[in-house]
Amino acid sequence: MGKFLSVIDYTIIHATIRATTPILLAAFAAVITQQADILNVGVEGIMLMGAFIAVYTSVLTGSWIIAVIAAVISGVVIAAIMGVAHLKYKGDIFAVGTTVNLLVLALTRFLLQKLLGVSGSYTLKEGTAIPQIHFKIFESNKILNSLFNDYSLFEILSIPLIIFFWFLLYKTVWGLRTRSIGLNPEAAKTAGINVYRRKFEVILISGIIGGLAGAHLSLGYSNLFTENMTNGRGFMGVAAMFFGAANPIFTAVGCMIFGFTDSVGARLQAYGFPSQIILMLPYIITILILSISMIKQYQKDKKRRSSIKA
Amino acid sequence: MPYKKILNSKYTSAFLSLLVCTVLSGIIIALMGENPFTVYAQLFKSAFIGNFNLGTTIEKFVPLLLTGLAFIVSSRVGVFNVGVEGELYLGAITAAYVGYTFKGLPSLVHIFLCIFFAMLVGSLWAFIPGFLKAYYKVNEVCVTILMNYVAIHITSYLVSGPLSGKTGISQTKPIEKSAALLKILKPSRANIGIFIAIAVCILIYYLLKKTKLGFQIRSTGMNPFFSEYVGIQSKKIMITGMMLSGAIGGLAGAIEVMGIYGVFLDNFSSNIAFDGMLAALIAKGSIGALPFLSLFIAALKSGSLGLERNTGIPKSLIDVIIALFILLVTMEKLFEFSKKRKKGKEV
Repeated sequence: MGKFLSVIDYTIIHATIRATTPILLAAFAAVITQQADILNVGVEGIMLMGAFIAVYTSVLTGSWIIAVIAAVISGVVIAAIMGVAHLKYKGDIFAVGTTVNLLVLALTRFLLQKLLGVSGSYTLKEGTAIPQIHFKIFESNKILNSLFNDYSLFEILSIPLIIFFWFLLYKTVWGLRTRSIGLNPEAAKTAGINVYRRKFEVILISGIIGGLAGAHLSLGYSNLFTENMTNGRGFMGVAAMFFGAANPIFTAVGCMIFGFTDSVGARLQAYGFPSQIILMLPYIITILILSISMIKQYQKDKKRRSSIKA
Repeated sequence: MPYKKILNSKYTSAFLSLLVCTVLSGIIIALMGENPFTVYAQLFKSAFIGNFNLGTTIEKFVPLLLTGLAFIVSSRVGVFNVGVEGELYLGAITAAYVGYTFKGLPSLVHIFLCIFFAMLVGSLWAFIPGFLKAYYKVNEVCVTILMNYVAIHITSYLVSGPLSGKTGISQTKPIEKSAALLKILKPSRANIGIFIAIAVCILIYYLLKKTKLGFQIRSTGMNPFFSEYVGIQSKKIMITGMMLSGAIGGLAGAIEVMGIYGVFLDNFSSNIAFDGMLAALIAKGSIGALPFLSLFIAALKSGSLGLERNTGIPKSLIDVIIALFILLVTMEKLFEFSKKRKKGKEV
């Protein structure tokens, strides 16, 4: 029992938030496009590009602010390519997204060799990463210190971001129109919404968030760039988006599940559990929750329909 | 007018994308201080000339073809099977396990057993998302993506624990000689798996075009509700199609183990199935076009390996070019020269 308590104690909260944030940002990049009926599997690629550009700019300029801005720009560029390919030239979005992932994976590997002269990974020097936020007043107490101190910028920003996206999608005219495209593009068009432009906007926003996600991953979360460092986080974000049916709040819950199992898993490993079994837990749990929620909904529908018949 | 027809055919469009991509990448190569013509000549040579080079192309061609085929089969029942990668892993480890546990079997029987169990495991794995999609409308893209990670972790656990070959590297014991597929074009790793792959491709083509099941599969994919109405059990057909797809994915993994590695290596695939899926996507789901596109991608991949060996061009650059090409090909309307294009724009 003592062992168990040291796996789940107050420090797990900080660890969970830390593990959740990169997935959460990726998930929002998928949420915003999904609301306009675009399945964005290219999040992984946008994020990876952002991560690389952030590291490279940080090395060049020594400033993490410029690095984050550059990462956002690179995310938007990749997103714009996807937008043109999908919307203007009618490329299948799934194919476009997968190709973008492939393209960025190869491109970052190539640029890492050419621009930074290393293959595999590049570790940042001191002072160029996104600084952690530290309050002196919490230092005295161990628990408060763990709960409130040393968060990276985006780890703090992610919570207002959830609310912002929820508000944007469900409480503004822009959000209503965007969602109407997702529900019925023809009807939206009839109502005078420029579907093409709106979809493009949504993809570009997704590029901004994806770029931020990448910058956070390399400058806030790990202080280095590794080949394929996103390592499925973009896909996890897409999965969380599906889990939350593209609703920002439920999506965030999905990301939390990933983050929580991830950090519990990291601790269980110390007790000799095979790491692979623990690593697959978040995926299995998500599949289970997703399936159960769909089955529940199916049964509810069935009941409703049968009562109509009776 | 005939010239318009030629201009607007999908072959012209694919050819033009290839041309644009060739010129674009030529410029990139020139910017890197290499002569694009010698690089292209070298690329071609490294892909086709000589037993080793041709063999490497074939070695890469087989899994691309099979995983692409697996993807197409599932898409015919209206399910997007992104989980071929997981089925490939599980099929591979099953083939390896059957390959080294049974001893003293005649070669044909042993190979059959390996392939059979690999396909069985692959199809059972694909049953899960198929079932969830057919009966409860659980999004298959999400489930299959997640299940890929589960499958990869399962094999990784098995290969470092219960099925470990205890050699220091994460791999199983080597399979018996009787389970190995005959090598062709030595010294490359190409093997008779290519004939199995092509046979399966033809078989699936026949199955989909000429049989009752094939008709039911196509009908379900086009409209499950209508199919249900005319008496096709579309839910069961959907699951069947998915299991068939999983079986092909498992077969692809088995051939990798039995033909190429001789063991199951941890993390051996490096996204083979995603490349296959792309081949299927640019073939636009046509089984006839799939072999050519798979061969093309395989040639670029094996050529790029040779290129890295012989010139200063890194493999990652060729990977960039491959991705660029695929991106250009996916854009259906990129080379459309009629007035239709303007109409399409308004939408």
